[in-house]
Amino acid sequence: MSALLEVDDVIVRFNIRSGLLQSGISIDAVSGVDLKVEEGKTYGIVGESGSGKTTLARAIAGLHHASEGSIRYRGRELRDLPESQFRQLRREIVMMFQDPIGSLSPRLSIKSLVTEPFRIQGMKDRDLDAEAKRLLAMVGLPQEFASRYPYQISGGQARRVGVARALALGPKLLIADEPTAGLDVSIQGEMLNLLARLQDELGLAIMIITHNLNVVRHITDNVGIMYLGKLVEEGPTEQVFANPQHPYTLALLAANPEPDPDAQLMRVELQGEPPSVMQRPTGCEFHNRCPFVKPDCNSIVPTWTDIGNGRSHRCRYPETWKMNENTQ
Amino acid sequence: MNKPVLDIRDLSVSYNTPRGPLRALRNVSMKIPDKKIVGIVGESGCGKSTLISAIIRLMAPNATVGTGEILFKDKNLLDRTTTEMRNLLGVDISMVFQDPMQTHNPVLTVGKQMVDIQYRDSLPKADKRKRAAEMLSKVGIPDADARLNQYPFEFSGGMRQRIAIAMALMAKPSLLIADEPTTALDATLEVQVIKRLRELQEEVGCAILFISHHLGVIAELCDEVVVMYAGEVIEQGSVRDVFHDPAHPYTRALLDCDPGHIKEKTRNLPTIPGEIPDLVDVADGCIFQARCTHVHGACANRPNLQPVNVAHNVACHLNQTEGAV
Amino acid sequence: MSTDIKTRSEIGEILYHLTRDRLGLAGLIIVSLIVFSAILAPWIVPYDPIAMNIPDRLQGPSLSHLLGTDQLGRDTFSRVIMGGRVALQVAIPTIAGAISIGLFLGMIAGYGPKWLDTLIVLLFDTLRSFPTVMFALAVVALVGPSLNTVILVIMITSIPTYGRVVRTLTQSLRSSEFITAEKSLGASTTRILGVHILPNVLGPLAVLAAMDIPTVVGLEAGLSFLGMGVKPPTPSWGSLLNDGYSLIRNTPWLIISGGIPLILTTLGFTFLGEALRDVVDPKLRGRGGVK
Repeated sequence: MSALLEVDDVIVRFNIRSGLLQSGISIDAVSGVDLKVEEGKTYGIVGESGSGKTTLARAIAGLHHASEGSIRYRGRELRDLPESQFRQLRREIVMMFQDPIGSLSPRLSIKSLVTEPFRIQGMKDRDLDAEAKRLLAMVGLPQEFASRYPYQISGGQARRVGVARALALGPKLLIADEPTAGLDVSIQGEMLNLLARLQDELGLAIMIITHNLNVVRHITDNVGIMYLGKLVEEGPTEQVFANPQHPYTLALLAANPEPDPDAQLMRVELQGEPPSVMQRPTGCEFHNRCPFVKPDCNSIVPTWTDIGNGRSHRCRYPETWKMNENTQ
Repeated sequence: MNKPVLDIRDLSVSYNTPRGPLRALRNVSMKIPDKKIVGIVGESGCGKSTLISAIIRLMAPNATVGTGEILFKDKNLLDRTTTEMRNLLGVDISMVFQDPMQTHNPVLTVGKQMVDIQYRDSLPKADKRKRAAEMLSKVGIPDADARLNQYPFEFSGGMRQRIAIAMALMAKPSLLIADEPTTALDATLEVQVIKRLRELQEEVGCAILFISHHLGVIAELCDEVVVMYAGEVIEQGSVRDVFHDPAHPYTRALLDCDPGHIKEKTRNLPTIPGEIPDLVDVADGCIFQARCTHVHGACANRPNLQPVNVAHNVACHLNQTEGAV
Repeated sequence: MSTDIKTRSEIGEILYHLTRDRLGLAGLIIVSLIVFSAILAPWIVPYDPIAMNIPDRLQGPSLSHLLGTDQLGRDTFSRVIMGGRVALQVAIPTIAGAISIGLFLGMIAGYGPKWLDTLIVLLFDTLRSFPTVMFALAVVALVGPSLNTVILVIMITSIPTYGRVVRTLTQSLRSSEFITAEKSLGASTTRILGVHILPNVLGPLAVLAAMDIPTVVGLEAGLSFLGMGVKPPTPSWGSLLNDGYSLIRNTPWLIISGGIPLILTTLGFTFLGEALRDVVDPKLRGRGGVK
């Protein structure tokens, strides 16, 4: 059975024009990503700033042009699909944005905002008042919010409006860009629980983009770690957390300490600075920051290696830290 | 026992709003011991930003200080004139802010800015530049001398924050106030910044007031922690005591909610239902009662900070009725 | 829970905030006075503004003639009030026309393809490079002075003012998260421009227009002063200035009567415009709260 969403070797390239006459530089924000999202499951894409995760998400949602590769939804090729044909698919593939209040049109009421999808898709025969009521109830917002404006609600409430609007037409794939960023820890759970509940009720597949590994752990089935436009590791979430293969995954795991002053921290400190996509390091992109770097890491480009059980990674010396322990 | 470098006593601050005074801080007290790192933990609306702005006396125009004193080295900051504060800030009290992208002047090189802030010293410029380069190296920026000629946009967020820390500690202050310095940074950069901060603190020997909502970082970096909720201090103590034996239901709930804390995978994450209470129309009694799972009769009266243990205080009636919970 | 959000209507919200600002309130009062006296002019003028009465010429202020009379015995006060009507008769169609055209061009320049943008900016720069008065002289030389000429000339040279602002606003809004969100829902370009960009541009435009009215009024006065504007005997503040200028030794009251309304208009609309801007801006950014 083919997956709901299949992404094959996708490259998203930007051309930066420098002046009218000079030819521009092209940078690959996403530099070859493969992944699959199954129906009704959740896939987490984890990466830090500059990893290309948001660009990838937007390319899948048809908001950026993918230069190469294939993005297939239910077998149908999305790359290069003209907007007139993509529009129909926008009932099924929806996106939630990172800035909760900024992603809501400031002059529209909440009611108008959650019923936008109906109007845009030409479904004017629906009872929009009833739909608005249903959607607000679905995300747990009081009915009186319908007449409010984005500047009158909090960030957490605005996120719920974003969810309501995304799910208005009963989509099959939700792409959520940093759904918990900026939320207080005590209410992060509410957003994630809401997404989990709606997933169960609607059979929704979710793709979560985040930099917070801890969020990913609880609500994703599979996770992919991105660095500088490439996936460096992928697999079922529990396994990746229990047995990371790539040093960057390990560094991310180690960077999110639990609130316990006595916890044994394996502090994996990355050297140096995140490189720029404009000057990709040679060989393995991670070599200049890798605490376990080997001499040939800067010349040979690692390939995407499948190690079974749905796990893959891109490191030529995986789990080096374990080997160090063994040799000591 | 050392005298605290900062002693906040019974501080109350309100903002004048069209609906009435918004009581952002109510009888807040805390001590920052000399050379220690104290963390303030709290979520939106807890008042930590108001507290900082009160300490450095850069409050919003509609803010009024009610009761209280802020004693810095035994002198009340609230009595200081603007000139006196200006002489203190950047010299004996330094700050690092949240957004590294906006901390530096974008049109001046880093070197110029680091030399400029030494304007109170009468050293020759070359010496000031040398000090600047030394500080940059100390915070782990390679090739420091060359990088002094670069502009802030040529550095990453993590580097800019380290530069901000370097600048703040160049004057060897007695107190460094760090307001969410790592919130805007990626996790791996946060690791670097925290490490540098700790190293520099040991070297300079200053006290740090570290504000964050990231419990893991507080647990790792701080010696003591103060937990704030909706304008009040509800628990304080050593990091070990508060995180291992939280006495206040809010602290406990907060720790439970932290995803790093939850070991087992679950589809139903814990949350603290409800919202922070209205700070204009402050209800009587315990500020947390509306959201507390242990609320009972006594909660109709506002609890005071009482000791649970040595140097571990909590403002909760459960502590009084049942002892250590 | 923050239950007390008073949801006033937009206008109510704007008026509420305006009245809290003293200068804004002053501006509102002055502007209202000018507008109402302009509307009601034909009924409230004590004398017919063009009725001559030579024996009573060049009088100073008195109970019967509040601002005196001019060289043809016409009541200055009546001419001032009627002049205000003329000023607004010029300013309002001019600005309305300039806004409509500037809005349309600005939006398509800001949102459309680069070549269209370049073309429209070229058009704006060309229009702006004409000094208004020279342009007016040229047109008047061709077509003869009249109210409509003045309106047309000022409108054309004002288009770039609004067009550029709309273009810049559109460009910055174009990359906003909420526009991307609308695109992700499948919104067409027309919908995005009409429903999502237009309402967010109108606020700053209104402010600009309010501040521009005195400029246009001043332009009309200037053109009339040069004899290029409204034809006599139609009263205009500019023509009052012109008459007053040559007759200043006989009576200073003509030039005062021409100048003071201009000053008041400028002050009133400027105060109002600035207060409006303060009201419009924070709403766009969202309510700032206290932490």
